[in-house]
This record gives sequence, structure tokens and C-alpha cells, in this order.
Amino acid sequence: MTREPLLSVRNLKTYFIQDEGLVKAVDGVSFDVAEGVTLGIVGESGCGKSVTARSILRIVDRPGRIVEGEIHFRRPSANGGPGRTVDLATLEPNGAEMRAIRGAEIALIFQEPMSSFSPVHTIGSQIVEAIRLHQPGGRREARDKTIELLRRVGVSSPEERVDQLSNQLSGGMRQRAMIAMALSCHPTLLIADEPTTALDVTTQTQILELMRQLQQEDGMAIMLITHDLGVIATMATDVAVMYLGRVVEQAPVDAIFHAPLHPYTRALLRSIPRIRSRARLVPIAGAVPHPYDRPTGCPFHPRCAEFKAGTCDRQEPRLTRIGDHHTVSCFLYE
Amino acid sequence: MSAAPTPLLRVAGLQKLFPIRKGFLKRTAGYVRAVDGVSFHIDEGETLGLVGESGCGKTTTARCVLRAIEPTAGEIFMRVANGSVVELGQLRPAELRALRREMQMIFQDPFTSLNPRMTLLDLVGEPLLVHGMKSRREREERVADLLRRVGLRPEYMRRFPHAFSGGERQRIGIARALALHPRLVVADEPVSALDVSVQAQILNLLVDLQADLRLTYLFVAHDLSVVRHISNRVAVMYVGRMVELAKTDELYRAPRHPYTAALLSAAPEPDPRVRSRRLMLQGEVANPAAPPGGCYFHPRCPYAIDVCRTETPAWQEISPAHFVGCHRAHELQLAGVE
Repeated sequence: MTREPLLSVRNLKTYFIQDEGLVKAVDGVSFDVAEGVTLGIVGESGCGKSVTARSILRIVDRPGRIVEGEIHFRRPSANGGPGRTVDLATLEPNGAEMRAIRGAEIALIFQEPMSSFSPVHTIGSQIVEAIRLHQPGGRREARDKTIELLRRVGVSSPEERVDQLSNQLSGGMRQRAMIAMALSCHPTLLIADEPTTALDVTTQTQILELMRQLQQEDGMAIMLITHDLGVIATMATDVAVMYLGRVVEQAPVDAIFHAPLHPYTRALLRSIPRIRSRARLVPIAGAVPHPYDRPTGCPFHPRCAEFKAGTCDRQEPRLTRIGDHHTVSCFLYE
Repeated sequence: MSAAPTPLLRVAGLQKLFPIRKGFLKRTAGYVRAVDGVSFHIDEGETLGLVGESGCGKTTTARCVLRAIEPTAGEIFMRVANGSVVELGQLRPAELRALRREMQMIFQDPFTSLNPRMTLLDLVGEPLLVHGMKSRREREERVADLLRRVGLRPEYMRRFPHAFSGGERQRIGIARALALHPRLVVADEPVSALDVSVQAQILNLLVDLQADLRLTYLFVAHDLSVVRHISNRVAVMYVGRMVELAKTDELYRAPRHPYTAALLSAAPEPDPRVRSRRLMLQGEVANPAAPPGGCYFHPRCPYAIDVCRTETPAWQEISPAHFVGCHRAHELQLAGVE
């Protein structure tokens, strides 16, 4: 267990510098993803979970930019031995090395399967393009591989689907095709950004099950980004809870749900409606602040039930280690 | 025992078909059966939850009830303020307009459903003005009162909606819906666009307003956890038809339709210790433009037998106030959630 993690993000800061003000979308995020596990990243809108993913892939839109921090990624080696580690934050976003990693070693699936495929090219031609970009071999071979991939992710009659446009596929089928494309180059890390949010619940179950099965077969690590604590509980091995650009707590999934430490995690778990209960909900007061109006000190202090005046609004809590695998950023534990 | 009071709303055999037009002459090539023979009632002060996946016809049903769209067939009876029962389809436009004060809607998306160029005073005051409250002072007082009721500060009434968060905007939408003292409020996915930490605030607000103002809700949603929290009874729809309707706890604990059971088991629970044995459905929701024969659910149903493929199941009352449309409802033992 002493092997270094597959991905190690350290003090990542991605800011959007705009005329209206500075948005600290990601403000000092650190976490690790071990090989073959699923790290769930959970948080509400504006917590920086998607910008974190885009920072790792170096596809942050302007005027956003990584201003500080490291993103260590261990690249696979040809002979299966321990690979070389690179800091993605220092690479040229459109340079050769980043292009070799993006889409091949680190793959991404988005929330909106509707808008992530080109509407004027067939599903097959887009997957073929992804394969040929990163792997040797001819068009014929890539097409056969594509049909095989579509079959593997459960697309019905893949020989016909391969020549269809994305709008001819249902939402669930489109997300399966998206997964096929992501897996086409055997990534070691799959980043899934709200992969089932646009889907119906019975389709969501199918897609989550498919992702779990593919992970068992291929052994890739998954970074699963979602706002849905139900999806996190179903899929994740470890969980990082984010709030306003920070990781406020990180722990194994069971600890997050059964022994949460941070007041935000605890309040979030109390506020969600549960299918087994009709008890009155306990909401979190207020709303997520506007990004231009970021509170001083701990970003959660204006909504926190355990707020200590003079401390929480003045200083920023440090990430504190509680036990082997549990870290929390709150003055209650410093 | 006295007879049960007349329900506030009764819907009988509601149907809405949307024509599919094809070709140069736009000839009707078929119909999307968005809502296909739906019947239910809602008692005064009650919340009926209407659940189902996208395309099941739950929103179309809600809109037909409000007559925001014209149903193809079916009757909608409403008990009006003076106690008499009217059928909405029989009303003249002016009569319908007068009745609209009694039925209001809360929308899903508080970002697009509020006009960005109107202040809170105009947004919440507009229905008052339309329905005859001409005095500005009177309107301001009423708007201030409404804003207080939904948990907003009346001092904000001259601001525009962009200054407010999603949860606050949903409160504005609720204040607007309540302006005319409605008796029936149709809420279409009122919390699904909101952050999880804010959902609970709005759900609690809706519960409190119902108790204070004796409101009746038709609550449309896809999230079964949300629906459980707010509904007295729940109706489940699948491809334009109602498949089950029962008291909330009974439906969740002991579902009688395989689709309801599948929905309950598919909802991911926020607890890693109950990574349950999922009843996973195969395939996808049927196309309402070309639904399969018999029971629309049969291609995905693990319990389907021959009769399911050929005959539409009857809508039967399997136990008191528990309705289900399934050929095998009497023999199946389905698991719910406690």
C-alpha cells in the first residue's frame, strides 16, 4: 500500500480573473486518487467540483487559469512497471504530452450526452477518430474495435448504431456510447462529471452498474463528480466533500455517511429527503454565497450552526488529519 | 358516518394526444399518447404526488388540469369557492378566467419563470392587478405580506430577481402563486433545480403554507424521496397511463405494481450500507408515439406473462383506496422500502 497514488492534487488554485471581480473557483484543493478506486467528489453548485476536473484535464476555459498548485499524475509505462509521474499543472495545455494524456490515459464523460457528441457526425466516426488519434492501426480496425466497444457497454445492435447520429439514440444509449468512447483508449483514470444527472432513475441504475462492471474488468480509477449523495453512497470508495472551492472533508465512504465530522457534511446529510422517512427536514440556513461575495475565514461560517465568532470569520481552517484516512478542515478539530 | 365530502378536484378519463405531422402537407401521421385515460381525485387540504420518469405524461396531466393546454378528452371537475362543482371544459372563457384565481402553478425553474425586468413588487403584484386590485398602496401591502409569508424581507420588493439566489427566486414564484388566495396549487418539480441544501427549505415552506392556508397540492416530481416527504397519496405514471395510486406509506412499503417496485429500488439511497439488491429494469421507457400492445410496461417487466402482451390491464381497487393497473397484482409479492 506504499505505492504512490495515481493522481495527487496538491493545493490547486484555479481562478477566473474577470472585470467584475476575481472568482476563486478552486481555492487550495488537495486530494489523492489511488489506482482502481472510485473517489466521489460531492458538492453543491459553485463548489468548484467541475472546474477541478477541467483543471486536471487542462481544459479550463478562459479567463480561468491555474494560478497555483500541483497535479501529479502517474503515467502508465509500456512494460507495465511503475510509470513516470508528471505534474499536469506545468504542462502546456495543448502541448504534445498533455494531448497524449487527455482522452487516452485520462478520459472524461460529461453530464450532457446530448451536447457532447457532434450532431452531424455518426457516433461511430467520432469513436473511430478518438481511437485513431491515440492508437496505431487503420480505419477498418478502429471501426471493428468501435463496434466491439459499443457491444461491451450494452448498446443494442451495435452494427447499426455505429452509423447513426447521436440524436437517433435515447439518452441512456447516448451515455453508453459516451462511455464507449471514453474507454476506447484504456484510460487509467476516468473522470465522470455528473454522468447520470440528465438520466431517468431506472436508466441511471443501468449506467452506474455498467460503470462499476467496467471498472472491475479494466481496473481504472474513477473520479465521480456529482451533487447526488445517493449516487456517491452507491459508487464511491472514498469521498471528498467540497464547498466554495475547498475540500472541507475527505474520508472513506462509510465514515462520510456514518461518522461525518465537518458541520457542512453533517448538515447536508440531515437536509436531504430520504425515501424511508417522512420526518420533517432540517435545512441548512441561507444559500451558497455568490462567487463574488466570498465570505472571509471559513467559507461555510455564515451558514454554520457551530460558528465561533472571532475565529471562523477571521482565520481559515487548515486541513487536519483525524485518524488514518479522514481529513477535515474546521476549527472544531484543530 | 357521513358521506365523504366532495373532492376539491376530480379528473375522469383525461386524455391528451399530440399529433405527429409529417411531410410537405403536414398530414397527421400518428399521435403521441402523452396522457391516455388518467383518473384521480384530490381532497381539500391534501397533497397528491404525481411521479414518473421523463415523458410519462405527469407534466401534461398537470397542465391539462389547469387548462394551460386543452385536453383531447376527459372531464375535470372542480369544487369552487361557493361549494358547487363545475366541469372546466364546459366553462366559457370569462368563467374560466375567474376560476383561475383558485388554481395556481409553481414552476420548476426559478431562473426562467420570472421576468428579469420586473421587480418583486411587479412580479408578485401582477396577478393582483390583473384580478382587479387597482390601488398601488393596497397592492404593496399585500405583496409585503406575501413576501413575509414565504420568508423574504418586504424591503426587497423593489429589487429584480437576478439579485436573488435560486431558493429565494423559488420563494418569489411561490409568493406570486399565492397572491390570489388559490385553493389548488399545482407544483411542477418545484425543487429539482435547487441545490440540495436549499431543497429542504422550500419543501418545509410548502408544508407550512399548506397548513396555514389550507392549500391543496398536486405535486409533480421525479424524485421519490421528495414526493414521500410532501404527499398524502402518490400516483405513479408510466407512458401516459397511471399504473398505481395509494396512500404514501402504503405505496412505499407495499407497492403492488412491478414498475413502482422498480422505481423504489432504483432510487439511490444516501447510505453506503444499503447498497441494496437492485431490481434492475432492462431496456428503456416505451415510446409514447408507438407504445407496445397490452400493458405498456410488459417489455421491461420481469413478471410479464402472455396476457400482459395482449390486454390492457384494468384499473382496479386492490385494497381500500389502493388502485393498480396490473394483471398480476393479486399474486405478486413485491418489495418496497420501510
